[in-house]
Amino acid sequence: MAAGNRGRRGIVTHLLQVVILGLLLGGVYALMASGLTLMFGVMRIVNLAHGVFIIAACFVAFFLFQGPGWDPFVSIAVTMPLFFLIGVGVYTALFPRIEGSARFTEMTVLLTFALALIAEGLLSYFFTGTVRSTDPSYKTDAILLGDFFIPTAQLLSSITSLVLLIGLWAFLYFTRTGYAVRATMQNRTAAQIVGVNVRRVSTISFGIGMALAGASGSLISFLFPFFPARHWQWIAILLALIVLGGLGSLKGAVVGALLLAVAAGIVSDQFGPTWSPMTFFGALFLILLIRPQGLFGHQARVG
Amino acid sequence: MTQVEKRESADIPVSLSPQESAPKRSRYLVAGVVTLVLALLPLARPLIGQPFNYVMQMGIVGLMWITMSSSWNLIGGFTGYISLGHNVFFGIGGYATGLFLLYFGWSPFLTAPVAGLIAVAFGFLFGLITLRTRGPSFIISTIALLLMTGLIFDNWDLVGGSNGLSLPLPPFAIEVLKIPFYYAMLVIAIGSVYLGYRVAHSKFGLALRAIAQDETKAEVAGIDTRRMKIAAFSISAFFVGAAGAIWGYSLSYLRPTVFFIIGVAAQMVLMVIIGGRGTVAGPAVGAILLVSLNEISVSQFGSSEINIVITGVILLIVLLFFPLGVVGTLREKGRLPSFLDWD
Repeated sequence: MAAGNRGRRGIVTHLLQVVILGLLLGGVYALMASGLTLMFGVMRIVNLAHGVFIIAACFVAFFLFQGPGWDPFVSIAVTMPLFFLIGVGVYTALFPRIEGSARFTEMTVLLTFALALIAEGLLSYFFTGTVRSTDPSYKTDAILLGDFFIPTAQLLSSITSLVLLIGLWAFLYFTRTGYAVRATMQNRTAAQIVGVNVRRVSTISFGIGMALAGASGSLISFLFPFFPARHWQWIAILLALIVLGGLGSLKGAVVGALLLAVAAGIVSDQFGPTWSPMTFFGALFLILLIRPQGLFGHQARVG
Repeated sequence: MTQVEKRESADIPVSLSPQESAPKRSRYLVAGVVTLVLALLPLARPLIGQPFNYVMQMGIVGLMWITMSSSWNLIGGFTGYISLGHNVFFGIGGYATGLFLLYFGWSPFLTAPVAGLIAVAFGFLFGLITLRTRGPSFIISTIALLLMTGLIFDNWDLVGGSNGLSLPLPPFAIEVLKIPFYYAMLVIAIGSVYLGYRVAHSKFGLALRAIAQDETKAEVAGIDTRRMKIAAFSISAFFVGAAGAIWGYSLSYLRPTVFFIIGVAAQMVLMVIIGGRGTVAGPAVGAILLVSLNEISVSQFGSSEINIVITGVILLIVLLFFPLGVVGTLREKGRLPSFLDWD
C-alpha cells in the first residue's frame, strides 16, 4: 500500500489517507458532539449521560440487527424517535425541579452523573460487559479512489451524519421552533420576555440532543466496538471536544470534531491507536491554557 | 447555634457564619471518646477473636473513605468546584510509594507523606491550567484528567502497565498484619478531618465559601479567587495521596483499575453529598453510611453492576430531595446533635 512506498510522494499520500479517514470519523464525532453542545447552549446542561445513551442506542441497533436483521442505518428510524422520547421524559422528570437553582449547571452535572451511573449499571447487569458490534456486510468494504482507499461504512456514516447535521441546521434556521431555540441560546431571559415558551423549547432541545445521540449510537454500533463502561471514554472525548469548540457553540462542535478527529488519526498513525484519545485530552488542556473560552466560545460564561 | 439556624436556605449548604456562639463542650468529649476507642480498638484483639482481621479491614476501608470524602469536600464542598477526577491523586500516591518501595526499599508507612506532597504538586500543576476558567470547563477537565491518567498508567512500562506492580508484604505476622495499616489510616483520617475543621474556621475557608456562593462578588470583594481555588484544590490532594499510599500497600499490588476508575470518584462525590456539602462532619458521616451500605449491598447482591445502580439512585434521590445532605438537613430542622456540629 501507499505506506510501503518510501518516496516523498508515498509519505504525502499516506498522510492524506490518514486525514481522509479522520475527516470521515469526524463527521460522526460532530453528530455526537452537536447534541451535547446544543443541550449546553440552550439549557446550560452538561449532560454526562450523553455517552451512556449513545451506548444504549448501540444496544438498540445491535439487537435490531441481531433479531429482525435491520441494517444499522435503518435502525436510525427507531433510535432517533425513541431517544427523542426518552430525552423528553428525562428532561421533564429531572430538570424542571432544579430550575432557578443558583448553581444550575453544577446540579445538572451531578444529576446526569447519577443518571449515567444508573444506566451503565443497568446495561452491564442485563447485557454484561461483553465487547459487541454490529456486523453489516459492508463493514469491511472499501472504495478505492486512485491511491486512496475509503471504507464504505465510514463514508456512509459520515454522509448520514452530514445529512442529519444539515437537518439540524435547517431546523434551527428555517422553522419557528428553531428560531425560538436560537433565541433561547442567545439570551434565555430576553427570549422569555418576547414570548418564547422556554420550558417547551428546552424540552424539545433536550429531546433533539438525545435523538442525535440515538442516531450516532446506530452509527457507532459498527464503527467502534462497544460495551457499557465504554461510555466514560466517549463522554470524556466529546466533552473535551465541545470545550475546544466553545461550550454551547454548534459551529465550534463541528469544527472541533473534524479538527480533533484528524489529529487523533495522525496520533494514532504515529504512536498507535492506544494513544489516540490523548489527542482530545491534550487539546482540552491546551485550549484551556491559551483560550479558555474555546475556539468559538464567548468570554467568561459563569455556569 | 441560634445564628446558624437562621441561615437563609441557599441552594448549597454554605454557611457564611462560622462564628458559633459558645460551642458545646460535649462535642469535644464525643470526639475525644471516638478517637480513643478507634485508637484502642486493635488492643481488643483477644476480645474480638476470629473476626479481628475483618474488623481491621473495615476500619481501614472506613477511615480511607473518611479521608477521601473530607479532602474532596475542600474543593467540592467549601469551594463548590466539583472534581470528578480526584482519585487521580489517590493513584499517584499509591504508585509513588509503590515505586519507592520497589526501587529503594523505602517503606510506604514512611513515604506516605511524600506521596501526599507529590499529589499536591500534581494538583497544583493541574489547577494552574484548569482553574483559569469558571464553571463547567473545570469539571470537564477533571474527567479528562482521570481518563488521561488511566490511559497513561495502563500503558506505561515503568509502572507495569495494566498488569500493575506487585509489592512485597510488610514483615509482620498475618494475625497482626492489618494493625499498622489501620493506625496509618487512622492518622491520615484524623488529619484530613482536622484539616477540614481548621479550613472551615479560617479566613481561607471563608474565602472559599464566598467563591462557592458568588465568585464574581468574591473577586470584587478583593479575594484572589484563582489563587484560593488552586490552593484549595492542591491542598485537598494531600491526604488523598497519602491514603492511596497506604491503601495500595495494604493490597500489596497496584493496578490502574484499583485507582483510576470513575467509580472511586463517584463514591467520593456521593459521600460528601449524602453527608452534607461544605460541612465539617458531613463527609465523615456520608463515608460511614456509604461504606456500611456498600458492605450490605455487596453481601446481598454480590454483583458490582447492581452496586453502581444503587450508587446512582441514591445520588439522584439525595440531589433532588435532600440537597443539603444529612448534616445540612438536620441543621435546617434544628435537630443536629451537637457532636456533629463543627461548622
